This record gives sequence, structure tokens and C-alpha cells, in this order.
Amino acid sequence: MTHLTPADLIDAMEGVLVPERRAHLAVCEECRGQLDDLAAVLNDAKEASIPEPSPLFWNHLSTRVRTAIDNDAGSKPTWLRWQTLVPVGAVATLLLVLMISVPRLDRPGTRAELEATVSADAVALDAPSENWDALAEIVGELDVETASAAGVIEPGFAEQAVLELTQDERMVLTRLLQTELARVQS
Amino acid sequence: MPHESALAISPWTVSVVKPFDGAAGTPVGDLDDARLVAEAAGGSREAFDEIVTRHRRAVYQVCYRFVNNHEDASDLAQDAFVRAWKGVKNFKGQAALSTWLYRIAVNVCLNRLSIKKPVIEAIESTEHFEDSRVEGAQQAMIREQRAVAVRRAIANLPDKQRATLILRTYHDMSHQQIADVLGSSVGAVKANFFHALANLKKILGSEP
Repeated sequence: MTHLTPADLIDAMEGVLVPERRAHLAVCEECRGQLDDLAAVLNDAKEASIPEPSPLFWNHLSTRVRTAIDNDAGSKPTWLRWQTLVPVGAVATLLLVLMISVPRLDRPGTRAELEATVSADAVALDAPSENWDALAEIVGELDVETASAAGVIEPGFAEQAVLELTQDERMVLTRLLQTELARVQS
Repeated sequence: MPHESALAISPWTVSVVKPFDGAAGTPVGDLDDARLVAEAAGGSREAFDEIVTRHRRAVYQVCYRFVNNHEDASDLAQDAFVRAWKGVKNFKGQAALSTWLYRIAVNVCLNRLSIKKPVIEAIESTEHFEDSRVEGAQQAMIREQRAVAVRRAIANLPDKQRATLILRTYHDMSHQQIADVLGSSVGAVKANFFHALANLKKILGSEP
């Protein structure tokens, strides 16, 4: 017959081992030894009492629980705390600023639409006019700080927005303006 | 009628304030656990205070067995009761109130242990639970040292083994109740109990 399993040994220790396993235990020294060891350790564990706190502690604990519940009831939901609101607000503000300052070019499809308009108007993009060369040169080289220092622009003016565009964005803007000028001239 | 006018000008009003009248005028101390839970679920803080008073010792002791020091145990017991207050509306009486509170306490302890390792008490810091005047001082000291060693060994057991050993040995919970608390099977509880004792024997055997 097989030895007692861990569950059998626990049952044996608690006096609820089934009769057929009890029969094995009666003849198996190894299982009996294991059972005695477990029982001895359990006895040690049972005798290990825990330190009794001060008698005043129990009422103190009740008071702590009451206070904690009161504080908890008065606190805002997690999502309303400043630790959450500040980063969320910062991200929202950043998104808003981006949406305002780069209104069209960030939207998928817009740039393709612009380019389609340009090609539909059959503008010779490879050979820009002298005026456009000059404009591109000014816009391409000038940065915001230089322009501000020279008093060319004031904060908030359209020029500043143009100067802050990326190279690609400036290209698209240039093409758009060329198209518009060509249409007016014709 | 001089007698009546004297009564009419009296500024005093005498009233008897009952400690609690949520359950047909019965004081909270006289209510059973099920009734207290119903009152607490209805928002009665007084009923919940009574629940705390009745179960604070057991909840504290479960927590102490887990972390093996008073400071953490009192924090955990407080935390367990705050969670119980928040969840009392959802307690439908499917288990005994004590079992439900043990479950909360064990979960709070297991959560805390996953973050922070317990501070192990120093032998010198322990107080005597039992009156040691009846036994010799030396015998008492040996006994206390053994208890400290056992508590320390229990605090070093794997979480589920520790929870099983604590609930079975010190709180007389059945295997089924422990299985409910830990969300496992009776077979797993017995296996955990066996391994907890075997590990405890190993740890205590290796101590000097």
C-alpha cells in the first residue's frame, strides 16, 4: 500500500483519516514518524502566543478606524486629486496648443489634399518664380529669435507661426501660395 | 391652578437618549452579527463601531501573525476595517462575519507583504502574553524565546502556507473556510498546511 499523502497526514493529525488509510498508518513506521514530526511542530506553533498589546490599544484601534473612515469619506476620488489632474491637464493643454498652432498639417490626409490641389492647378513647382525664391530664402534661413531681435515680428503674429513650421510644412505652404498667386495672375 | 403654571414656565426638558435605535430600539451591543451587518450596510457607523469592537482582537492577531510586529499589525488591522466598511454593503451573509473579516485581513496582509517584507521582532522587544509569575523566570524566558523563534519562522513561510497555518492553527477555521478565504480548494489547503508544517520544522531545526 502507498504511503500517506500530505492530505492524508493532515487528516490523520486531525483524527479524520479514512479507515483504509488508517490501516496503512498502523503498519507503516515511516508514515507514523512523519505524523509524529508534524504533530510536534504543530504543537510548537500552537504554543507560540503573540505579545498582548496594552489594554489601551483596543480603543485606540477603534478610534483610528473611525478617523480613517472619516478621512476616507472626506477625500476626493482618485481621479480628482492634483497628482492626477496636473499631468492630465498638462497633456490636455499641450494637445490644445498643438491643435491651434498646427491646425491642418497634423491631420492625416490634409497634406495629401493640399498636394493634390497643387498638382491639379498644374503649377511648375520645379521652377519657382524669383519672388518665391526670395520668400523661401527669407523664411528658410530666419529663425524666430533672430526675427524677434530684429523687430521684424511680434509674438502672436502670423509670421511667427510660419517661422515655426518644419521644412516640409514650409514647402507645402509655399506650394499653396504659389498656386494661389498663379491663379490670381491668370 | 398654581401647579400647572409652575410646570408651564419650567425651562427644563428631560429626555432619555438611547444609545441606538436603528433596530427597533435595541442597543447595538445586543444585536447579533447579522443584524449589525444589516445596520452597518444601511450606513450606521455605530453598528460598524460595534463590529470593530467585537472583532478587532481577532483581526489584529491575524495581522500580527503575518507581519510579526505590532506597528505593522495595527496599521493592517485598521486598513482591513476601513475596507470592511467600504464593502459592508456587498456582504450578503454568505459566510460568517468573522470569516469575511479574516478574508479581508488576509488579503490586506498579502497585498502588503508583496510590497514590504515584515520587520522581524527582536527577542528583547517582546512582552509576555501569559502571566509568567507562576513559572520560573528561566523557564519563562526559554518558552518566550521558543515562541519568538516560531513566530519568526512562520513569518518566513511562503504566503499561502503562512495564511493557511495561521487560520487553521490560531483561528480554528475549517479547511473549507480557509479555501473560501484564499480562493483555493480544500485539497490545496491541506497540501499548504502540510508544507507549512514541514517548512516550519525545517526552519526551526536549522536554528541554533
